[in-house]
Amino acid sequence: MTSSCANQSVPILRSAHHIRHAFKPFNTADRRPIIIPLPELSSPSCRAGEEAMPARQPLKHFTDERDGSTEEKDLVIIGGGVAGYVAAIKAGQEGLKVACIEKRGALGGTCLNVGCIPSKSLLNNSHLYHQILHDTKNRGIEVGDVKLNLEAMMKAKETSVTGLTKGIEFLFKKNGVEYIKGTGSFINEHEIKVALNEGGETSVKGKNILIATGSEATPFPGLEIDEKRVITSTGALSLEKVPEKMIVIGGGIIGLEMGSVWSRLGAKVTVVEFLNQIGGPGMDTEISKQAQKLLKKQGVEFKLGTKVVSGDQSGETVKLEVDSAKGGKPETLDADVVLVAIGRRPYTSGLALENAGLEVDERGRVVIDSEYRTKASHIRCIGDVTFGPMLAHKAEEEAVAAIEYIKKGYGHVNYGVIPSVMYTHPEVAWVGQNEQELKEKNIPYKIGTFPFSANSRAKTNLDTDGMVKMLADPETDRLLGCHIIGPNAGEMIAEATLALEYGASTEDIARTCHAHPTLAEAFKEAAMATYSKAIHF
Amino acid sequence: MASFATATRLSARLVGRRVAQDAASRGFRTSTASLAAQNFTMPALSPTMTEGNIATWKVKEGDSFSAGDVLLEIETDKASMDVEAQDDGILMKIMQGDGSKNIQVGTRIGVIAEPGDDISQLEIPADEKKPSQSAKKDAPTEKGEPKQSASSDSTGAQKQPRKSGEKAPPQKYPLYPSVAHLIKENGLDESAISEMTPTGPAGRLLKGDVLAYLGTVPASRPEEIMKRFNHNAHLDLSNIKIAAPKETPKKADKAPVKEAPVPEKQLVSLPVSLAAVIAVQAKMEETLGTFIPLSTFLERAAQVANDALPLPSNYKPTADELFNQVLGLDKVDRKASRGRYLPQIAALPPSNFTGVAPKPRVKLDIIDFLASSTKTSTPKKRRTPAQPGMSTGTNFFSLTVPKDEEKRAKVFLQKMKTVLESKPGNLVL
Repeated sequence: MTSSCANQSVPILRSAHHIRHAFKPFNTADRRPIIIPLPELSSPSCRAGEEAMPARQPLKHFTDERDGSTEEKDLVIIGGGVAGYVAAIKAGQEGLKVACIEKRGALGGTCLNVGCIPSKSLLNNSHLYHQILHDTKNRGIEVGDVKLNLEAMMKAKETSVTGLTKGIEFLFKKNGVEYIKGTGSFINEHEIKVALNEGGETSVKGKNILIATGSEATPFPGLEIDEKRVITSTGALSLEKVPEKMIVIGGGIIGLEMGSVWSRLGAKVTVVEFLNQIGGPGMDTEISKQAQKLLKKQGVEFKLGTKVVSGDQSGETVKLEVDSAKGGKPETLDADVVLVAIGRRPYTSGLALENAGLEVDERGRVVIDSEYRTKASHIRCIGDVTFGPMLAHKAEEEAVAAIEYIKKGYGHVNYGVIPSVMYTHPEVAWVGQNEQELKEKNIPYKIGTFPFSANSRAKTNLDTDGMVKMLADPETDRLLGCHIIGPNAGEMIAEATLALEYGASTEDIARTCHAHPTLAEAFKEAAMATYSKAIHF
Repeated sequence: MASFATATRLSARLVGRRVAQDAASRGFRTSTASLAAQNFTMPALSPTMTEGNIATWKVKEGDSFSAGDVLLEIETDKASMDVEAQDDGILMKIMQGDGSKNIQVGTRIGVIAEPGDDISQLEIPADEKKPSQSAKKDAPTEKGEPKQSASSDSTGAQKQPRKSGEKAPPQKYPLYPSVAHLIKENGLDESAISEMTPTGPAGRLLKGDVLAYLGTVPASRPEEIMKRFNHNAHLDLSNIKIAAPKETPKKADKAPVKEAPVPEKQLVSLPVSLAAVIAVQAKMEETLGTFIPLSTFLERAAQVANDALPLPSNYKPTADELFNQVLGLDKVDRKASRGRYLPQIAALPPSNFTGVAPKPRVKLDIIDFLASSTKTSTPKKRRTPAQPGMSTGTNFFSLTVPKDEEKRAKVFLQKMKTVLESKPGNLVL
């Protein structure tokens, strides 16, 4: 903030209209000292020792504006992913003059284009296929020739994706958001250069700037991603044919979801995970074990506590040298396709953060404060590119909060109540703290569980794998966490999230009427089991 | 007549609120249970009414009344109106009798008690508001109590002496099912609720709060949990390790102050005896059968000694640290930091050793060996105990440092000496 005088100094503008516009108090509630010198004053509030800027002397980079070539926006957003587009729409609704820079050529970012949305399409349709092959006969539906038309399945996926991304473009128009298709990079802390996709270059200035550039798949050292044989989640969403053998490096949510898709479509999938549990560290260990068991039953092989030492993709198949993480016997695996799903890393390349004097931490995350401000207080940063879990809904919450900070001076995201969902079958979903976490922190807890095998709806659906597990404070009964594995867990977790947000006890949940017969009754019964006893188990 | 009816309805509502308020405020007087009677004040029967006359009391002192009964008739300059009771009760005392004129809104006109109360045992409460005070009139719509400004219905209750204001405002939304259940189950009344300390989001009353009030769980428990939830609700931005700036323009902008080239170098040295280390080493080999190389001792001693060294005299906080300070993330004032020293070690011939004159440093294998051993984690196993150039007795530990770091380096060497000479066993146990 040593340069706050210079940052905030305002050029001499031509008309009274412009002046009024330039002094809209967007940062009214900014707690840092923001000095906005009036044009006729020579910034009297500048601290001693700093050079007060003569008001009548226009800054060099504002000369463009006098020529009228670069217009200053209230807010410029770099990135049109979930964080960026939500922020853009929200800002438009709040009456800000906003531009959103996106280089992909389609809005929605990773989530809509090569992430959550297309994967859900494939998961749903591959599940149907898998069910018709293996399950419908037991239900009295005999289907003749079942054939997979992968091309059509991919097309169905693309239809969903295009519909949604176009929808966002419409919302941009509706809310007056200027959509700039190109690659943005900082010229200085107020100006962004955009290399346009259609050729040429422009620049855009913003009183506020929001970085929402997202993340990219972390590559595996020693393997070159070609998205054909060595793929990330992006490639896994558009393979041209079902591979015979597939290895997934990383047993987290992405790896297991994509592994599930190709396993259902006929690939022999092996998941290699360095940790001793699947689903990542956030998943409750008990639930994780059950998920592993169920996925194994579906034909997915697991190698846990195993690290990939090296890879060789020169031959016909991709070969991986693996080793037990604890030092066991080395082994060579080979597969037609290797999916690298070891995590994602913040994406800031080409952004020229250094031109704005911004910092990243050792893992490449843009450093922010609790109000999403970077080192320069008018530049904020949200989503995957900064701290916190890399989840679309978290980014969405932050987008709204960041705009509220800009416009109203206060925004809020409750990071303790962000649900996670794995869309395998059965689904796994959780919110709040898990058992191993509570144990580790020496926090007392009590557990209540209820299996779907005792739930009437699950029984009639012949889909009874899984359970609801609740963790609550043993004394006050306040819900601490909820972990669900089972049909529709991803939808059911919303109820747990609401309960957590409101500080509910499990008794509160148990005393709330749930329709019969529904899967949600299992949720209620788990709450009953936590604070007293379940009726049906 | 329509306006009259409206006014009467209004009055009834106001009285109702008043009575509920009184009931709530009773709950706060836990110490004096006898003080169950409540003042009944002149109601404002219309938004503009500031004073009125009492025509007649329809209920006699000591009589019970039930909700809906007309308590008294009030005359204003515009009309005369009945005041209805909204709750059951007993009219304990009439303070302003029939025909009293020009009574300010909010002035006490009577005292009422709860149904079933023994009014002979009840104290008459103090007049909460002297008529003289009513001069400072607020909006007359405000229940006739000018002291209660624009706050909620039951501010009257809050006005009572509360314990250092730690209680949160009364619950304005439906109670949680568990809370409602516990309250009924334990026969608590409405007033007990305002005694509880809500720990839920936005001041919501949780099951744990009721349990704490009842004494079923420790009183501090709900608050501990609340704190934990509040902590989890925020992103952890406390331990950010800023990436080293890239060698691109960034570096030119802000080269770390700490690494700024300091031309003047200084040699700091100190004699350290390794006799104790050798003794421990021998003892361990003898008793445990494990041989621990000298390098391990030295490496660990250096690790210990590097901890919390005084800052170099030219130390300036980095931009990152300043930024963190601005954010309030780095509250601890840095007086010490971790060093990265590794001493150079050389044996000194006893004849040469004066104890004062620093010897020019001698490059020895041990140095490279030590330096590399900290970078790579591969443990160095099995080394001959006799390092070339090292003596089992006194060795000379030296460091070449920028002048500004002289004190820092001296402290480091002194710490090395203490650790290696006094308790080397601790390093490996």
